[in-house]
Amino acid sequence: MNKDKLKKTQKDKLVLLARKSDIRGAHLMKKERLIDVLMRLNIKKIRTKKDLKAQTKARRMIKNMKALPQVRMKARVIAARPAVNVPAPVVISKIGQQRVEEAKYYTGPAHTYARQEDFQFPAGYGDNRIVLIVRDPWWVYAYWEITQDRDGEIRHQIGQKGLVPVKSILRVYDVTDVDFNGRNAHNYFDIDLTGMANNWYINVGAPNRSWIVEIGILANNNDFFVLARSNVVRTPRFGMSDIVDEEWMCLEDDYWKMFGLSGGFGLGKASLAMREMFKKRLMQQISSGAWSGAVSSLASPVKKRKVPKGFWLWVDAELIVYGQTEPNAKVTVQNKPVTLRKDGSFTLRFALPDGKQEIPVRATSFDGDDTRAITPIVTRRTI
Amino acid sequence: MEKGYLALVLHAHLPFVRHPEHEDFLEEDWLYEAITETYIPLIDVFEGLVRDKVDFRITMSLTPTLIAMFIDPLLQNRYLKHLDKLIELSAREIDRTRWLGQFHNLAQMYHHRFTRARQIYCGEYKMNIANAFKKFYDLGVLEIITCAATHGFLPLMEIERRISVRAQVRMGVELHRKVLGRNPTGIWLPECGYTPGDDEVLKEFGIKYFITDTHGILFGSPRPKYGVFAPCYCKSGVAAFGRDTESSKSVWSAVEGYPGDYLYREFYRDIGYDLEFDYVKPYILPDGTRINTGIKYFRITGETDEKEPYDPHRAMEKAAEHAGNFMFNREKQVEFLHGFMNRRPIIVSPYDAELYGHWWFEGPDWLNFLIRKIHFDQKTIKLITPSEYLKIYPRNQVLTPSFSSWGWKGYSEVWLEGSNDWIYRHLHKTVERMIELADTHAHSHPGDIVLRALNQAAREVLLAQSSDWAFIMKTQTHSSYAYQRTKNHIYRFSRLYDEIKSGRIDANFLADIEYKDNLFSDIDYRMFCRT
Repeated sequence: MNKDKLKKTQKDKLVLLARKSDIRGAHLMKKERLIDVLMRLNIKKIRTKKDLKAQTKARRMIKNMKALPQVRMKARVIAARPAVNVPAPVVISKIGQQRVEEAKYYTGPAHTYARQEDFQFPAGYGDNRIVLIVRDPWWVYAYWEITQDRDGEIRHQIGQKGLVPVKSILRVYDVTDVDFNGRNAHNYFDIDLTGMANNWYINVGAPNRSWIVEIGILANNNDFFVLARSNVVRTPRFGMSDIVDEEWMCLEDDYWKMFGLSGGFGLGKASLAMREMFKKRLMQQISSGAWSGAVSSLASPVKKRKVPKGFWLWVDAELIVYGQTEPNAKVTVQNKPVTLRKDGSFTLRFALPDGKQEIPVRATSFDGDDTRAITPIVTRRTI
Repeated sequence: MEKGYLALVLHAHLPFVRHPEHEDFLEEDWLYEAITETYIPLIDVFEGLVRDKVDFRITMSLTPTLIAMFIDPLLQNRYLKHLDKLIELSAREIDRTRWLGQFHNLAQMYHHRFTRARQIYCGEYKMNIANAFKKFYDLGVLEIITCAATHGFLPLMEIERRISVRAQVRMGVELHRKVLGRNPTGIWLPECGYTPGDDEVLKEFGIKYFITDTHGILFGSPRPKYGVFAPCYCKSGVAAFGRDTESSKSVWSAVEGYPGDYLYREFYRDIGYDLEFDYVKPYILPDGTRINTGIKYFRITGETDEKEPYDPHRAMEKAAEHAGNFMFNREKQVEFLHGFMNRRPIIVSPYDAELYGHWWFEGPDWLNFLIRKIHFDQKTIKLITPSEYLKIYPRNQVLTPSFSSWGWKGYSEVWLEGSNDWIYRHLHKTVERMIELADTHAHSHPGDIVLRALNQAAREVLLAQSSDWAFIMKTQTHSSYAYQRTKNHIYRFSRLYDEIKSGRIDANFLADIEYKDNLFSDIDYRMFCRT
């Protein structure tokens, strides 16, 4: 029974059905919820008792798990908010009596779980945080989550100071070699946030520096009110270090020679050119996943050959030769032995190229006394 | 006396793709194909070398997920079934191609290969590929190194980095020890993703070295005197070996690389797509979707759709020629470097193992030729493992390698871009919650079911972290499998988290996911403890 059919069924009938399935309090449910419950029981038809019996197992299982509130909660929790680890509201109904009934069956958040197929990634975890990850020497990635409460609290603060919130921004601080306290960064820049963004790729444009990002609200007097502060990350160096180890020192030229050889572009390039060449080297696909890969290590198992453009056709032909003899006989086709099935039959399939094929089939009885030979001759011509 | 060394490193990895809940599952074929086309052919090559008393050294990483699949009875049996069908198909092909001389020979070649694979698989190794690699490990010709538990891309584990990295490494080391019988000396950091400081975790587990991409060393500080041609020690004392670019290109590059030679076998012309539907139906997906069978009759031929039949003899000659060319270039490289450095250089050439045989059909033969040529035909270079090199040269420059990976563009972008960046907020949260659970139950003695739930939660965290999911999301338009896997593991973890916290563990649910995600049987959730 699918959802649409249930929807078309009168509520009275649904209640009846639910009662037969031992679902209590069905008459108090809204039709929509009732359908939900019945869907879980996977009832195929409404009328026959036999069908209901067939569902006994499922019914019991759900009954044991105290199905009613669970199902209700599921519908609510999943639709309205993150399914994971948000304490489920115990009571969601407006009717007092129903409230009591539901609370009676409520067994804790563990049972609010949707089935795997219904699981949705939560939109948030109720945190106020911003996290930075390094993408490469020039870019970092930030993701964040700010609760409505936190946002409201800060906006309230802004209001109390007689100010007006103007916009949400990310403030990106260069905190290289600094123990950041909010004011001692080398410098910073702002990024205006638009829409409902909850993540951002930030072009810091500077390798080998440390970064912190704050998300917050800028007020009309340019005061910045912080919602959350990130972790510190450091973009990697791009190029050869300036630091030289005395014990492993050599001529400047020699460092660059080794650099060029290691990078596969040989000797005699200027250091600046080397760096640029190295950038190109990293753009070359010479590693894992260089080709179309399903997994980084495997080429795609499903990629097809290219289909030619425009209208097209190809044709080939194959030939099936089949026959039957005594099951214990020996059969050769074109002088090669053939394995017979239990009933003495055999089938051979040949790719058939252009030209003439003579196909002598010879059967010899098990005692070698009798022989039969038949020779089909086939000619294929393709024009 | 040799003037320098070559360390060939093969990185063998597949994500955990075991689906007991389905009879046929497309993604399990990744494993079966890799066994038939790469792992068994490599084992065959190693066997031949040992038989012929050719001294050689190969370094190979076997990732924990791969090992977990090798030792899994369900997958072992399923692979045998898969292989038997291939043997059956190749036998039918011998009949079918009787009037097509060249194809007939190829059908016989495949039939021979598959039956040989069966011999190797079912023979002394008893359907356990890990046993095979262990044999060569014990003989000292193969150095097997470990990898992070589920091939998690470590640089993006920004939140709770130390604990996350430690859990990934610890699980890898433990499984290595359990299955292969000793502590790994080296590790393949997934995608060569290195973040300064991660080496301290490696040290905790007795790991002596790891491999970085070229710029990990070149951009290290202080500046490296010998480039990538000698290892460097991190401050922790763990050594980093940098990848050589020149030798990488000659195999990897789609433009200049050997595998693109016109005489080599064409990957994309497979009878699974080419032959009449009813005939191949038993060997493709149950719903009739055509897939690769592994039987391919054409050579690359050129930039054309008109492919010519594959000629194995000419391809073998080409593979030998390419092996000679590779060796010659390494000799020249070593001779030059040797004059330049006051020590014998090491050239580290890492590749994905699955490139050999699966994509580059002739790859295992190329390797075979190369090893034999190096052994018999010259005296300039010698094969070595990184740990042997450290024994010869225990004194090395100390520096901090740079954050790097061997992914496209050299950093994290492959695993952090529009298609996959959204997963990190969930992965990070998952780790935080796992730590919370572990800390809560750090000193208590949880009852059996709680203990099981905690351990399973730890498995789900690790599985969610596989770099493969992010990678597939990026590279494939149909990434639903990767999306689904991420979702499943996050779901399973989240549900366990709530159930453990509320003290109401659904035993059926737990049993079900223990049955599905059954790897790392000895996992201990306490590895996520903060203390």
